Amino acid sequence: MSTKPYRLAEGGSRIDRSRKVTFSFDGKDISGFAGDTLASAVLASGQKLFGRSFKYHRPRGLVGLGSEEMNALIGIGVGSRHEPNLRATQIEIFNGLSAESQNRWPSLKYDVGAINSKFSRFLPAGFYYKTFMWPKSFWKHVYEPFIRKAAGLGKAPEGRDPDTYEHMHVHADVIIVGGGIAGLTAAEAAASTGTKVLLCDENPVLGGIADLTAGMIDGECVADHAATVAARLAALPNVHILTRTTVVGHFHHNYLMAFERVGDHDPAILASGAPKHRLWKIRADKVVVATGALERPIAFANNDRPNIMLASAVRGLIGRYGVTPGSKGVVFTNNDDAYLTAFALKKAGVTVRVVDSRARPDGALVKRAIAEGIDVNLGSVISAVEGTSGVTAVKIAAYRRGQGRVITEKRVDCDFIAMSGGWNPALHLWCHNGGKIEFDDSLQSFRPKSHTDNIVAVGAANGTMSVEATLVEAQALGKKAKKFIVQEPERGASESLWFAPATGKYNEGNKHFIDFQNDVTAADLELAQREGYESVEHTKRYTTFGMATDQGKTSNLNGLGVISEATGKTIPEIGVTTFRPPYTPYSFGAIAGSLTNDLFLPVRRTPIFQWHSDHGAVFEPVGQWRRAYTYPQASESKHEAINREILCVRNKVGLLDASTLGKIEIKGPDAAEFLDRIYTNTFSTLKVGKCRYGLMMNELGFLSDDGVTARLADDHFIMHTTSGGADRIGAWLEEWLQTEWTNYKVFVTPVTEQWAQFAVAGPRARDVLSKLGPDFDISNEAFPHMSFKQGHFGGYPVRVYRISFSGEMSFEVATPANFGQGLWNAIMEAGDEFGLSAYGTEALHVLRAEKGYIVVGDESDGTVTPVDVGMEGMVSKKKPDFIGKRSLEQSFLKGPNRKQLVGLLTEDPTDVLPDGAYAVAAVKNKPPMEMIGQVTSTYMSPTLGRSIAMALIQNGRSRMGEVISFPLEGGKVMKATITDTVFYDKEGGRIHA
Amino acid sequence: MLEPQFESALAHRAAPDTLSISMREISERGMIDLRGLATDKKFMSAVKSVLGFDLPKAPRASTSWGDLKALWLSPDQWLILCTRSKTNSLLAELNAALAKIHSLAVDVSDMRAIIRLEGESVRETLMKGSSLDLISDDYKAGTVRRMRFAEIAALLHVVEENVIDIYVFRSYAEYTWAFLTKAARKGAEVKLFKR
Amino acid sequence: MLVVTCPVCNASGDETDFHYGGQAHVRRPATTDPVNITDEDQRDYLFIRHNPKGLHFERWRCDRGCGKWFHAARDTVTMEFKATYGITELPPAELIKEAKGPWADYFKKRLKEKA
Ligand SMILES: [Zn+2]
Repeated sequence: MSTKPYRLAEGGSRIDRSRKVTFSFDGKDISGFAGDTLASAVLASGQKLFGRSFKYHRPRGLVGLGSEEMNALIGIGVGSRHEPNLRATQIEIFNGLSAESQNRWPSLKYDVGAINSKFSRFLPAGFYYKTFMWPKSFWKHVYEPFIRKAAGLGKAPEGRDPDTYEHMHVHADVIIVGGGIAGLTAAEAAASTGTKVLLCDENPVLGGIADLTAGMIDGECVADHAATVAARLAALPNVHILTRTTVVGHFHHNYLMAFERVGDHDPAILASGAPKHRLWKIRADKVVVATGALERPIAFANNDRPNIMLASAVRGLIGRYGVTPGSKGVVFTNNDDAYLTAFALKKAGVTVRVVDSRARPDGALVKRAIAEGIDVNLGSVISAVEGTSGVTAVKIAAYRRGQGRVITEKRVDCDFIAMSGGWNPALHLWCHNGGKIEFDDSLQSFRPKSHTDNIVAVGAANGTMSVEATLVEAQALGKKAKKFIVQEPERGASESLWFAPATGKYNEGNKHFIDFQNDVTAADLELAQREGYESVEHTKRYTTFGMATDQGKTSNLNGLGVISEATGKTIPEIGVTTFRPPYTPYSFGAIAGSLTNDLFLPVRRTPIFQWHSDHGAVFEPVGQWRRAYTYPQASESKHEAINREILCVRNKVGLLDASTLGKIEIKGPDAAEFLDRIYTNTFSTLKVGKCRYGLMMNELGFLSDDGVTARLADDHFIMHTTSGGADRIGAWLEEWLQTEWTNYKVFVTPVTEQWAQFAVAGPRARDVLSKLGPDFDISNEAFPHMSFKQGHFGGYPVRVYRISFSGEMSFEVATPANFGQGLWNAIMEAGDEFGLSAYGTEALHVLRAEKGYIVVGDESDGTVTPVDVGMEGMVSKKKPDFIGKRSLEQSFLKGPNRKQLVGLLTEDPTDVLPDGAYAVAAVKNKPPMEMIGQVTSTYMSPTLGRSIAMALIQNGRSRMGEVISFPLEGGKVMKATITDTVFYDKEGGRIHA
Repeated sequence: MLEPQFESALAHRAAPDTLSISMREISERGMIDLRGLATDKKFMSAVKSVLGFDLPKAPRASTSWGDLKALWLSPDQWLILCTRSKTNSLLAELNAALAKIHSLAVDVSDMRAIIRLEGESVRETLMKGSSLDLISDDYKAGTVRRMRFAEIAALLHVVEENVIDIYVFRSYAEYTWAFLTKAARKGAEVKLFKR
Repeated sequence: MLVVTCPVCNASGDETDFHYGGQAHVRRPATTDPVNITDEDQRDYLFIRHNPKGLHFERWRCDRGCGKWFHAARDTVTMEFKATYGITELPPAELIKEAKGPWADYFKKRLKEKA
């Protein structure tokens, strides 16, 4: 490797030569200047190698100048701050930056995986698909280890990311994507009308490639003009500028996502509290795509060698960073633009010659090059490249269009190549949301055609390559266009060059890379055509061309060109592959934003949450709620704690936080009739002050929710729903009132969170409440089961429902949420002498299962009717219409063989059936076996000293006493007897105590 | 007799001094959810007889007199704000005035937690969690808007240019507090359009 | 992400602030005559929906706003909302005229009933 100084003595508009910056690359300290990118600084140090290719592990160097870079993918940061797969051309260096190359082992220079290259004839297009068809053993022992070594770009960070990320929303009248000369002009024009303009550019500095563009605008060079406009825009109050911000996607109704690298370039910014990345969610009335154009590589033999770059990249390295890739270069082109690179090289004192595929180019720049004495080889191509980890020489051959291979060649020493196959408008954003494009012969590329959104493309993104026309086009965003005096070189026509022939054909040892990132060659595409992958989308998937992060930025057109030549179809006939968001990859951190750790999911806390937590509760999620599952004491296991809590309720008294239950106030002259339509059973007959359990179906006739509703007044009810159903049922009631029974005079107000609600359950429940000083009679006579009262417990306002989900005497006490903790403490204190203990949701579930009470969502799964669970008695025969009634009459819901809810007692009382276990008609040695039902709830009951379960079993209710089998994993079979579902207190006396 | 112990959702929370805005819970406010038809003249005048002012009819508007405020939620729903200690008597007055009118008034003082945000960057702070254009003219002082905030439902009340109350269901108070303390931390300010 | 505007409260917002409620103008047979509903009627009510390419009529709810349901006419190709209208109303006359296929048949029937 050469150690020549690659930093030119002068020049470099982006760098500050007075500020030295030291960083490490693959463990080696390298210094550059403030303003350098990792790419420019490493190249300046003399290192050409930046990575290894994905499939063949070929040595790779820089190709591009910005986000189009496909080879130099770098990981930066260490440990939990490591971030892989960043483009070296976009990484701004700072003191202490630690960077490393990827996809190499053990080192970039000596890479074991490079052996893939030797096996490349075994890794053709569609390699993965073909290999999968080979014998299994071959796959496991030969190919998989091989692929594992080869695949995988970068590594994941170790540990939790210590940095922060966030999302931000912004609305603009106009968003301009791209801050080049087109975007800047468009922004100023739009802003002049007083509209709010958002200007986003992915680079740290506005101007795009103005500094690489020849010409003068009103006497200033294009770059100076751009800087002047940028400065004016920065001062305008109706313009918001985001730099280092890539608009990564465009979606329906002009919704855009942009990725801002806030603190990547400067650790001090992160230290100040700023997020590392910010994801912008943008809504704009109008979108202006000013994303410029991307330069195409040329497909010539071994065109992927380090130090073969895009012509614009070479020009940019010289102009921006004062860095040259070498001392002797060849510019290989099919267009005039690349001549600017030749001039820049010559001016920098670098020896340069031009290879131009065109036989008779007549543009001003070509003439100037010849006049300046640059060695211009017309009608020629590069037919071979010598060197593997760099370029040592090229062969230049005479070329005629349509030629398959070349014969005569001359060899020329050189150490780098600047290539230019023409420019493609960057159409990605235009196409993300279905924009149409058309092929433009003069561009030899696609350009925007039409779009259903309010979106326009200007400048190079629109295929408008001249400065003057760009200024005119961009000014259409304003009301009045200013006339600029523009001088720019007259351009000659370019011609297509999809494939530069070599001495051999496609597949004769020459790799003409089309998609560098995915290691797809012209031969792969040609092979795919021969194998019949006629659709370009099929070719894309078969060869992986244009996939992954590159999204066809540099590969798309060349690939189509090769397919075109292989098939004889024109490029428009072939069509393009789909450009998908994101334009460039962005971080997982940005996607997550601030919604990590405690914000990952919204967690709902009841007013008693802190108490539960302080008292050792184990929580379980119920929807977004965290409910206390059980409260293990000192040395108790969860199971022991649950049993203790159950027995405490059965024998003494327990206290449950039931605040999560849905609560909905329903009022109006038609409230009772409305409830009759909502529930399967009747509520119009409910007396004021009484409660009734109700079942709800959906329109399909399946169980949807259940709960107790109390009548507060003739026209006023309060409905309870399941905890998980609260929001859904609230919306459901509104929907029916608003959309179907619009004549009903009923108001519905969900009030779930207004109330903290506790169940005080157990034989001593009344004793506990008596101690709280109720201002109403709570005796069984005055306040029987299924009735409702409101009043006070001491100073606490309460609503009390005498309802039970445990089978014990039970009072559900509701008090306004902010009094919840106080009342809870008071009940705990009052209950102390009666042995009261808090119980959690698992104890509740066992208690209710002992009583055979269903849980909608356990005993039902969205395909279960009230009849299936044995509640046909609750389905009104009298009411003409209620939700689900007609569906319940459909034959298949009435027919035989429905699964019906039954109880189960295992033969061995210590056997607890697994939840969801399947019952079979007959046990066989191995599946399939005919399934006849499944377990819906299953527990060890401490009250009964044995296991109990409920299950949905085919025709279960007519099979009482039958023993059925449950084959389990590992060959074990549990047997259980079908019983009714009530296991405890079958007479139901305890709730009336 | 038991003395009731009052504990609001964020009683234990104080804003850290590392924020770019000030932030506190407002727990001394009473709230009544009022339903009735804006097109029902009897309803509107009965409510006016109690409040002393008209309920706002325009979407997202609010009206007020002294410590009483009415926030528009829907063509048939308002949130009445009052001093917490006066909630019971106000509710009783409303129910008396509305006795024969189709309506529903419910004390919901404990259903939501209110967080008051003050400072120059409150709007941008909220825009980290809301897709609404809160810096636009649609959100002048007095505006009320229900919205999706971060991952939850919230109600926004623009009190003054730089003072915004955000109402969330009580169970989400801690989540909202955590989101806001993260979004509002110094160093992470965003200034849109040089505001 | 679509922008939806509620015709009741005039609020505009992301579609995630709204709730999509499926096809509009599906009539529930039981509301008018709970007794005489054939299995076919019930099937059509529950399961049979249009899936046009182009103009479609939908139900939406101003979920995070005023809470009201409304109707929307939307082009399923361009995603453009052509109109929003009340939850108990039929679409504007010009859109009824534009409607094609099963929608055209449906509106013809509805207008005939009305007349
Ligand atoms: Zn609305």
